[in-house]
Amino acid sequence: MTNQNAADQPVALNDEPNDLTYFAFAENAARSAPPQAPEGLSEMAEILGSRYKLERLLGVGGMGVVYRARDLLREQFGDPDPYIALKTVSDDFAEYPDANALLFSEFALTSRLQHANVVRVFNFDVDMSSKRAFITLELLKGPTLDQLLCDKPHGLPWDELRSIAIPLIEALHYSHQKGVLHGDIKPSNVLLADDGLRLFDYGLGQPMEGLLTGLPRLSRTRFNAWTPRYAALELINGESLTPAADIYALACVLLELSNGKHPFQRLSARQAMNIKLDQQLQRPDKIPQLCWDALLKAIAFEPQHRSQCCTELLHAFQTPEPARRTGWLNHFSSKGTQG
Amino acid sequence: MQGATSRWRSVARTETGKVRARNEDAFLAMPERGLWVVADGMGGHQNGALASRLIVEQLAELPHECALEERLKHVRKCLHELNRRLGQELTVTAARPDAIIGSTVVALLIDGERAACVWAGDSRCYLWRGSRLYQLTRDHSLAQQLIDEKKITTEQARFHPGSHALTRAIGAYEDLQLETIELDVFPNDAFLLCSDGLYQSLSADSISAQLNLSSPHLAISRMFDQVLDGPARDNLSAVLVRQ
Repeated sequence: MTNQNAADQPVALNDEPNDLTYFAFAENAARSAPPQAPEGLSEMAEILGSRYKLERLLGVGGMGVVYRARDLLREQFGDPDPYIALKTVSDDFAEYPDANALLFSEFALTSRLQHANVVRVFNFDVDMSSKRAFITLELLKGPTLDQLLCDKPHGLPWDELRSIAIPLIEALHYSHQKGVLHGDIKPSNVLLADDGLRLFDYGLGQPMEGLLTGLPRLSRTRFNAWTPRYAALELINGESLTPAADIYALACVLLELSNGKHPFQRLSARQAMNIKLDQQLQRPDKIPQLCWDALLKAIAFEPQHRSQCCTELLHAFQTPEPARRTGWLNHFSSKGTQG
Repeated sequence: MQGATSRWRSVARTETGKVRARNEDAFLAMPERGLWVVADGMGGHQNGALASRLIVEQLAELPHECALEERLKHVRKCLHELNRRLGQELTVTAARPDAIIGSTVVALLIDGERAACVWAGDSRCYLWRGSRLYQLTRDHSLAQQLIDEKKITTEQARFHPGSHALTRAIGAYEDLQLETIELDVFPNDAFLLCSDGLYQSLSADSISAQLNLSSPHLAISRMFDQVLDGPARDNLSAVLVRQ
């Protein structure tokens, strides 16, 4: 909303004549030297692990805080691009007894993944002076999918949607094959870097039983967290994370990208199921039937009715779309059936 | 475009106050770019401090080598994105399923003879012009809403329970409505951006008296002294912008 009139004819807060002596803009008014760094940002200058200088806050979540940091060691050895992302737990969450274990779990899971579309993690470390654990990761540059959705409120054209969907499904499929569940798939955890898409933030990830043994497993009865609009019903109900829960969240993201709207009016799975919003889902014209069928199976509220792995979705999006009929072809075809 | 030879100078300060355990306010003062911001975080614990800091850090990263209109577009876009990030995209824990990370924001952009102010919440921007004080921003608070609806007077609003409740903020509501005001800048104009911790404890007369001082440092110092001499229950922040 623009309110230009109010400024063009401002109303004084105190209409009484102000008879104070007017010195405000004298030539000798105090002048400050140009600041070295923008004022207000200086208190971010903090070094973790005697090596990583925190420069900018990149993101905050319910538990973690991510900074852009400069690796002073790499810089000392002449690395022209010594910037990394550094994730630590927030002050509030640091009081939680398993906070550092949760961060280690994220490191352990992510470090087992080497895929072009999964974020690369470098190290897990503890800052001895603050006793705070942190992980370092590649610094990603580019818009996240939530930023993309702000830019494109009516969704993406099919080709663009497909070009995001395929690497995203591949990244999750690969993670599952390696025994790593993500646990918090949502638009802000997917970034479009210059060299391709990245899935990141395995902070709520879990190793799959039988595939990654020996890794710490956080009990969801002791610690449970989710993003309400993208969490599968069973997660909200406190049940274990499964590949199917990741698939529900993935389908929510893909459907939101298709038309810019959350598939269930931004409601949680539980709220949406209570008012049977799944029955109102309608296929946008741009989505081929094969993909739509796979998406419907992926977004089923009940986990037993949902796809249990990414294969079907991946196959649907990878299958070339049948040539769309033009108006002329439709006309020809309908005449043919009549004859 | 705001060049390196900006004629604008600013003095900024933030204080925790006497009651709050931490400072959830954040400010940004970049006179060389013609950009100043005050944000007042909410949500308690560290969340509020992170939200206000995230806002000023993200605004500091925006492109600035462009016309005021473009810069304003970038600021608005950035604030809408942060609203979604802090609201819809927030991971919550079972222990705190209704956690909120949010913040007010008031940002002032100046380029040549034009200024723009964009805000959400109850942090304010005042204009000091011709020895008079004008409040450029209208609070997005329950109190202001009740005053607008003529249900209470300005005086009653000061004592109305819950009157400080915000009706708009970054991260607090799904659909963010930012308000923007644009104006011509006059040669001796000055601007004061501040959080409610400052203006709630100072009368308009007393703000005017300090803005009339020749030294912006002294003006800020006296305003803070005055507030900190009182109960100072809230964090307080101010950025004074002058030519």
